[in-house]
Amino acid sequence: MLAIPRRRAPRRGWAAFVNNAQVRGVVYQVATAGLLVALIWWFAANAAANMAERGMSAGFDFLGVAAGFGISFTLIPYQEGDTYFRVFLVGIANTLLVAVIAVVAASLLGLVVGLARLSDNWLIRTLARAYVEVLRNTPLLLQIIAWFFGVFNLLPRPRQSVEWFGLFALNNRGFYMPAPVPEAGFGLVLVALVAGVAGAVALARWARRRQERTGEPFPAIPAGAALIVGAPVVAYILLGGPLAWDLPALAGFNYQGGMSVPPSFCALVVALAVYTSCFIAEIVRSGIQSVGKGQHEAAASLNIKPSWTMRLIILPQALRVIIPPLISQYLNITKNSSLAIAVGFPDLVSVWMNTSLNQSGQAISIVAMTMAFYCAASLSVSALLNAYNRRVMLKER
Amino acid sequence: MAEPARTFRAKPDRPAPAQTVGAVGWMRRNLFSSPANTALTLIGAYFAYWVIATVVDWALLDAVWQAETRRECLDAVGRSGACWPGVFVWFENLIYGLYPKDQIWRVNAGFALLVAWLVPLWLERVRSKVAIGVSAVLAYPVLASYFFLGGDKGFLWSASIAAALTAFVWVWATAIAERRTGRTLGELVLARADALDADPRHHRRLLFYTAAAGWLVAYALVALWYLPYVTTNDWGGLFLTLVISGIGITFSLPAGVVLALGRRSELPVIRLICTVFIELFRSVPLITILFMFTTMLPLFLPVGVEVDQLVRAIVAVCLFASAYMAEVVRGGLQAIPRGQYEAAAAMGLGYWQATRLIVMPQALKIMIPTIVSTFIGFFKDTTLVSIIGLFDLLNMARAIGEDTDWLGLFIEPFFVVTLIYFAFCFAMSQYSLNLERRLDTGQRS
Repeated sequence: MLAIPRRRAPRRGWAAFVNNAQVRGVVYQVATAGLLVALIWWFAANAAANMAERGMSAGFDFLGVAAGFGISFTLIPYQEGDTYFRVFLVGIANTLLVAVIAVVAASLLGLVVGLARLSDNWLIRTLARAYVEVLRNTPLLLQIIAWFFGVFNLLPRPRQSVEWFGLFALNNRGFYMPAPVPEAGFGLVLVALVAGVAGAVALARWARRRQERTGEPFPAIPAGAALIVGAPVVAYILLGGPLAWDLPALAGFNYQGGMSVPPSFCALVVALAVYTSCFIAEIVRSGIQSVGKGQHEAAASLNIKPSWTMRLIILPQALRVIIPPLISQYLNITKNSSLAIAVGFPDLVSVWMNTSLNQSGQAISIVAMTMAFYCAASLSVSALLNAYNRRVMLKER
Repeated sequence: MAEPARTFRAKPDRPAPAQTVGAVGWMRRNLFSSPANTALTLIGAYFAYWVIATVVDWALLDAVWQAETRRECLDAVGRSGACWPGVFVWFENLIYGLYPKDQIWRVNAGFALLVAWLVPLWLERVRSKVAIGVSAVLAYPVLASYFFLGGDKGFLWSASIAAALTAFVWVWATAIAERRTGRTLGELVLARADALDADPRHHRRLLFYTAAAGWLVAYALVALWYLPYVTTNDWGGLFLTLVISGIGITFSLPAGVVLALGRRSELPVIRLICTVFIELFRSVPLITILFMFTTMLPLFLPVGVEVDQLVRAIVAVCLFASAYMAEVVRGGLQAIPRGQYEAAAAMGLGYWQATRLIVMPQALKIMIPTIVSTFIGFFKDTTLVSIIGLFDLLNMARAIGEDTDWLGLFIEPFFVVTLIYFAFCFAMSQYSLNLERRLDTGQRS
């Protein structure tokens, strides 16, 4: 038999202490934390000295002070002389407006291009590939500026604007559309809409339970859609159309009335949507390709209708792959909307981190507030995403 | 009486129907398989024709190639054709910014030096590739920054330039030595001094003296070498874009590896610090970080310390890039099965050895496509420095349209700049595909 050599007695004393993993861990951590605290302290001391020298003060008192500048486009009401806090809110509202519209447009465009990438048709496939390669290999900022200077700024003057049906108009001052003006009783239409949505949700639940119990399917999606659309439409007709439209009309040198967005907004939204649609297209494509061929074949051998195969078998599995990167693209849109400053659209960064910062000089508070907004947005979205991931995670047994 | 053997003899195959083979068959399968597909093909073909024809007409056929001002272009063809002379006049600025004309050779020399430094990495039979790569990351920037910046140099500055120069000579000497003889430069030096059999300590001393002698010669050369100072305010165009993105990319990979390891560390304080750093820098837009560094860095440094605008931008880009790279590396680390760590531990490797020899090579390899697409993202993101007033490629292009002679000339410069960006990004992505294929060991099914 082989003699197993005896283990040497553990070393004692200094060497053992220094080589102990736990001791080392504590030492490393204390050293790192100490360095970090020293660095922060040094920064803070410098900042205090610098601010004393320039006669600046930190804090959030300036939020109540009137801001002495106008903002060219605001979603929520604002006028020169409102407080700085109002400016902050205006910036957030504008940022969110750009983000929401760009998210919807980019998703639709990305879905179409992603499906085109998978087309049986060679030409369509190639065109989609060219679209994706060209647009995602050029900088977004370049695209925004090119849309602004190359397209929306070169549009005709208001008198020669492009009009559609007398309702929409596009010229070098912006894009004009009718604005809804609610009249008495319009609130009831909204109530009907809410009731329709609630009814649709209840119907979907009932249909699902019945199908689980009896196997009888019920067309819950078209029925629900009919409820959501139908209820407010019926209420609208019954109440005699309590909604007027304020149409934009050419008056003098420009359009009056209706709603309008400036060219910078159009350039920003179009560029964001087009740029992000490339990434979404690739996400959609890889998601659908990630579902194994066997799933199609299994569905076919069970004699499941092709339209059901997509909806009940492919899509649920593909969505598990698609949703997480898709959401992070939505976050990217929100972050990239900060490039608005390059074309002069007053989003949060432009109106708050640039104009307000230069006007008030409150660098630290303003930077902190801006970062807090983006951090809050991104952290809450990632929390949602983690919850979703836990729900759809493969339940492997 | 035997029956004659009847064997089955197949008739020769008939050729496939003409409609299913060759170009016709391919088109029937891929373009005209159904009425809907035919309609799509026709629409797509018309669209492709329209786009290509519009661009060719505008950029080539209707374009103006000789003019003094934009007015002349507009008088000649209006807006239907491109006005290239404006771009030609500004082309040198698009590439080099406002770098003094008689000094432009230095920029070219700096980039040629980079190529020369990296060429040995692609040569076969060169063994010290890791060392060459590390020397390129550590020493090349020193030499390049003297090429680009110039000016007076103190002792420390001269000493580092001399060291970088020595490193460059070593790269090529060792590459040639290894290709010719298959032995490293160190072995050759030792053989030359008949000291191969001496004890290792003697070896080390000998090699050190050789390197020191090389450094002294280099120092003497560097002391004689003087380039006039060029302020960073004059840097611009593609040159500036490459400098910023190059530094950002080079810095981000090692910093990202460190941060990713820190985020997976078992030490809670280190994990917390790394996580907060990564999440903070990833959740805010780059432009806010750039603004933060331009407005707040002066506040946080001692009173009276001024930092160059370019340096602020580079610091911001570096920190931002390393936070993103950290998440990419972490993704790669998560994909490594636990068994690899356990096997490394069973072989008696410690944490750093296991990370360096077992885990990191695998993690980085599977993440190559993601790493390269992140690099492409950084390269595109450097355009944001134009917002804080640096004249990178994009801002230079915009400046053309604000020149009085070429007022309003935006589309043409943007078109050229788009082509430049596209060329760089597309080349990078194709190279990554190529690299991925070459390094694929077929472990993934």
